[in-house]
Amino acid sequence: MEERLRRTMMFVPGNNAGMVKDAGIYGADSIMFDLEDSVSMSEKDAARMLVYEALQTQDYGDSELVVRVNGIDTPYFKNDVYAMVKAGIEVVRLPKVESAQMMLDLVKVVEEAEKKFDRKPGSTHVMAAIESAKGVLNAPEIAASTDRMIGLALSAEDYTTDMKTHRYPDGAELEFARNMILHAARAAGIAAFDTVFTNMNDIEGFQRETEHIHELGFDGKSLVNPRQIDWVNKVYEPTKKEIENALDVEAAIEEAHQKGSGVISMNGQMVDRPVVLRAQRVIRLAKASNLINEEGEYIEK
Amino acid sequence: MDIKKTALAGTLESSDIQITLSKGDNGVNIDLDSSVEELYGDQIRKVITDTLAAYGIKNANVKAVDKGALDCVVKARTMAAAQRALETTDQPDWEVF
Amino acid sequence: MEIREINIHIKRNFNKWQKFLKKTGITTFSPKETDQVERTFVWEDDGEIMATGSIAGNVLKYIAVCSKVKGHGETFNQLVSKLVNEAATMGRFHLFVFTKPQYVQSFGYVGFHVLAQVEDGAILEAGTPDVHDYIKNLPHFADQDNSRVAGVVMNANPFTNGHRYLVEQASRENDHVYVFVVSQEASLFTFAERFKLVKEGCRDLANVTVVPGDSYMVSYTTFPAYFLKDNQDVAHFQAALDAQLFKQQVAGPLNITRRYVGSEPFSKTTDIYNQELTRVLPPDVEVKIIERASNANDDVISATKVRAAIANDELAVVQKYVPQSTLSFVQNNWSDLRARIKEGSLE
Repeated sequence: MEERLRRTMMFVPGNNAGMVKDAGIYGADSIMFDLEDSVSMSEKDAARMLVYEALQTQDYGDSELVVRVNGIDTPYFKNDVYAMVKAGIEVVRLPKVESAQMMLDLVKVVEEAEKKFDRKPGSTHVMAAIESAKGVLNAPEIAASTDRMIGLALSAEDYTTDMKTHRYPDGAELEFARNMILHAARAAGIAAFDTVFTNMNDIEGFQRETEHIHELGFDGKSLVNPRQIDWVNKVYEPTKKEIENALDVEAAIEEAHQKGSGVISMNGQMVDRPVVLRAQRVIRLAKASNLINEEGEYIEK
Repeated sequence: MDIKKTALAGTLESSDIQITLSKGDNGVNIDLDSSVEELYGDQIRKVITDTLAAYGIKNANVKAVDKGALDCVVKARTMAAAQRALETTDQPDWEVF
Repeated sequence: MEIREINIHIKRNFNKWQKFLKKTGITTFSPKETDQVERTFVWEDDGEIMATGSIAGNVLKYIAVCSKVKGHGETFNQLVSKLVNEAATMGRFHLFVFTKPQYVQSFGYVGFHVLAQVEDGAILEAGTPDVHDYIKNLPHFADQDNSRVAGVVMNANPFTNGHRYLVEQASRENDHVYVFVVSQEASLFTFAERFKLVKEGCRDLANVTVVPGDSYMVSYTTFPAYFLKDNQDVAHFQAALDAQLFKQQVAGPLNITRRYVGSEPFSKTTDIYNQELTRVLPPDVEVKIIERASNANDDVISATKVRAAIANDELAVVQKYVPQSTLSFVQNNWSDLRARIKEGSLE
């Protein structure tokens, strides 16, 4: 599956016309339209239609488009999935996932919908939100449940309730879940998203948490406010040294390519695959942060 | 199709439109309240009428309070109001989607 | 900010809610105003109320947004929107708001139309069916615009010889007479009963049309007035608003140029009401105050006396004040009416 940047996944309440309309202007890597928690029961139908129509007509730029559908055990689930597959959504996010079977149940409905609405089979991707102890412990099987998987996301609000605790500033209560989910995702070759940070007034806390999950290795974070996008991107910005090193690696790849050599070497040393992958990721990040120009040179800010 | 009950969808927040559908017997009558009535009134009316026609609703009284909604929002809210008025919210009409 | 529904009939919630509203200048919390509140929503930021609104029947009440809220207008729209949507899920699509004049425009932005406005406040409506539908659905007459049309509003609890006398006068002096019967259920006799007895009592008067007052001729004393300052004159405010509503929304479109009312020697409230009608309606609508009909010995005919007689089990007394149609009904339902009086505090 194509590797892409997923630093920021912005939540957009699915029944809020203004926010659904404007979701594309903030430059989030992923936009997650929510049909679940942010929509009251009496508005589930209306939100589904609003998001559907917006997906048909609005330009969301390069953002990856994700929809969080209602849980598999709700009366809204099937209609949500049908409508979103018909709309051509890229990723369906299933909440409260506790087992691989739940993802397979989702995939079955996605398949039906792709067939019914003439969508290319397999074109709709899925991801799982992990929101319980059981979900965390089953993260590896969930991550590997289907080829359509693109990622796992931790949802801390329900998880901490399940664990009989709540959010703390130091995040100790989430340490196990974060590591578990991250390992499961990496082992399956998919993305890992950290949970939202809801206190908009605690900018320092947000900064600290983002740096922490960046350090752990998360692809990015779920966000509730567009203002947080820049803050996350700043944390994910590669350093000058990282970029210059990545550019060197890229040059070495190019050189090997021209020589027709299968071996990439740099400064007399062989360059391993992980080094190549990391360099490619750094360059993607640097481009997204506008830190290199079209000629592939570092831009001094 | 006949409207079974009065139904409302949409909100009064900016970029949205609130649509109330009730029984009528003389075609589709739209009472539109919009600050952009002069510029976009006809377009909003057309989207509402076309969407109702897609559900086979030929007679209805429509109250619309527009807060600057795009066509896609007008359509979505009319769809929601129509399915609620027809009491078919649980069975979305995929032909109209 | 988070939206939450609270039950204000729980003391703890009520206190917090009331404290917030007092800060925004709403100071009246009489049981008469708060008892009818069915659902209340609050917008909270860190547990502190920033905005609130309530639903009471078809009326949106106690709406306030803290002045500290950023995007004040947008929050107000969200608030009203939430209330309108919740009312819709309760099957209520026709809503009223009573508010201070300075907020009329804000409600205008969210689809509310002014029915009447006076110095201290205004009544607005939104949704469907509205006052235009109401007027459209009333019986109309040939050449109505060039006829002399009169209006009488009555609760008729029940219809008496006094009511009959008033209608007869109007019938004699005009081409057409609309008799509006108050639709609100707050009386010993139900609306259906009152309406039927007025119709029967006026049947022989060919130019008289009896119609329901619907939402537009409610018992004006139940108009919410919670947003007025305690010392403001609630009775005058309510009566003036009712008079304005009649003048602009009803009399105008129906070409009613005369309103008939009975003189009021006893009740101060009704006297205030007549004063306001006389102040507000002319010159468009002439107010004809008709001396109350009396029996021999200045025994003024009144529905209050009829109800008292029912309570006292005195059928002979009832007979003195009502026409045959009302008498038959009362006679046939004697024990039921007396049971209703015993059960409740129905007036």
